[in-house]
Amino acid sequence: MFEGVIAYLVSYFSSNIVNIPLIEPIIDFLLKIPIINLIVSIILWRPAFAILIVPGLLAIVIVLLFIIWFERKITARVQWRVGPKEVSRHTGGVVQAMADMIRYLFQEIIIHRDSHAIYFIQFPILSFIPILLPILLIPAGPIYAIKSDYAIPIIVALSALIPLFIMGIGWSANNRYAYIGAIREAFMYFAYEIPFIIAVLSMVLLYGSGNPFVVVEKQTLPGFLLNPIAFIVYLIGILMATSRLPFEIPEADQEIAFGPFVEYSGIIFGLVMGIAYEKMYILSLLATILFFKGWEGPIIPILGDLNYAIWLFVKSVILMCILVLVRSIYARYRLDQALKLGWSSILAFSIFGLFLSMGWYLWQNL
Amino acid sequence: MAKSVKSPKMNLIRSVFGHLNAIIEVTKEVVMPSTITIHYPRERRKLPDNFRGLILFDKNACINCFRCSHICPANAIQMYIRENKYYPGIDYTKCILCHFCVDSCPTSALKPSKIHDVVFKSLDNMVVKPEDMINEPKVLREDYITVEYDFDEDLIMRRSKVKEKLVVEIDKPVRPDFVAGAANPENCIACRFCVNSCPQNAISFKLEDQQTMVFSIDIDKCTGCLICIRKCPTETLKAFRRDKIELEGNYERR
Repeated sequence: MFEGVIAYLVSYFSSNIVNIPLIEPIIDFLLKIPIINLIVSIILWRPAFAILIVPGLLAIVIVLLFIIWFERKITARVQWRVGPKEVSRHTGGVVQAMADMIRYLFQEIIIHRDSHAIYFIQFPILSFIPILLPILLIPAGPIYAIKSDYAIPIIVALSALIPLFIMGIGWSANNRYAYIGAIREAFMYFAYEIPFIIAVLSMVLLYGSGNPFVVVEKQTLPGFLLNPIAFIVYLIGILMATSRLPFEIPEADQEIAFGPFVEYSGIIFGLVMGIAYEKMYILSLLATILFFKGWEGPIIPILGDLNYAIWLFVKSVILMCILVLVRSIYARYRLDQALKLGWSSILAFSIFGLFLSMGWYLWQNL
Repeated sequence: MAKSVKSPKMNLIRSVFGHLNAIIEVTKEVVMPSTITIHYPRERRKLPDNFRGLILFDKNACINCFRCSHICPANAIQMYIRENKYYPGIDYTKCILCHFCVDSCPTSALKPSKIHDVVFKSLDNMVVKPEDMINEPKVLREDYITVEYDFDEDLIMRRSKVKEKLVVEIDKPVRPDFVAGAANPENCIACRFCVNSCPQNAISFKLEDQQTMVFSIDIDKCTGCLICIRKCPTETLKAFRRDKIELEGNYERR
């Protein structure tokens, strides 16, 4: 009976596996081996593949390791420095982020006496929930977990939960810098979230659907040409939401020493520093779907279904590289300047973009 | 009347050009960075030949004249007795690497070198004895590229796969060769400070006729260290240039 259950599971999962002609002989061979065929068929089952490999966990790890190195290297280039180099010299220090991670793993995690210890440890780990849940709803062509008409609004809603966790971190750390940082995060949250949501909604209105498949299908021109104002608002929104440098107000390491994250050490510090990059990855994936034709691109037949995932991944990583470069162009705004910007011009811009989308929608449907 | 400061007026065109300027400038640096870093252990900057680095010592050229220790502004040079002669040793805890000693040395027994990265195991080791200064210290070199800065117009870095020699062979500086001679022999009081101070034993006294002391200077032995002149209390002795000397070297004193 037990064998029958396993055989049923294998046949169920392998009926919907990812089709990659490049490694098909290997998969066919592995599917004949008893226990391994279950593992392989689960990993290659389309929903599991979307969450575990690309655009899910493995892709997030690769992005984290790459983008942190890239940010340090490109900023160093602009500032006439060299950047990370000593770890693996011949590749220019690519594995620096990995080396840092290993160092964090061996470091002691200090929980100071004044903190709310339970929340202090829990929040960095819990903050992965709003980061990983949107992955379920972001499709990469035929590789997807959940198909929904409301996918884009749900992604935006989930990603808007992350600042709550950061505020919780600031509260549980019970430190004056963490407190200031949490308050600043709250201020910034209200300043960017409304224009950001309006920008996304104007694109949803433009395409007439919140379904990523419909959105990608309807982009005869890429979205950033259809509604450039919403695109600019969206970009500034990403910069504010992930506290990149012109709006690095909650973390401001020169003023309040990484704000909410000031008390963390060890691998937990690595986790909290990763939150912003992971959020940036999610929002870049969404930007790729909304503004850059999603997973569409020249198709290489041998990669099969992986083509679409790779195009989505590459486009969003290029967008992230550009966003990261902004750090070396602009100086940091003061809190009041950023709030003024968020509540006045960017809000006005986003509403203007909404009207532009309405015009497009009416012109196409009348 | 107080002048009030107003914030500058918002100028859309100017700010757009400012943003574009910043973006173009950063893009230029991303593509062609003007980094001027030298990756030190693997690359070395090409240093000038008269670089003020670690000081080396040639024992055979030294004439024990003490000039290096007298001129040292940091009082870092101490003379050590070796084989009945005085040789300089440098205390690197005090040395400011001004190379006055190298400049003052009449026979260039103290030599400059380009070695500037030296590790001493303890403070006691930094007091270097003369015999330790003769050979260059052991240098562990990882460099295979020499970088040369070119300051002519814009800063250009020239890299060449040459391993630079750290000890430079410099020509001996042209300096007048002095010998001690008696300018005023009648001043001599026969105190024999000069005889005792001479490291070469070039000065000798002889008693003639039970009354007259004759002192003689062996010009061939004299190295021109001129310690006797500094010691002489009556200014009997004076330095003469060796090529212009007309004195025979015997002087009388009643």
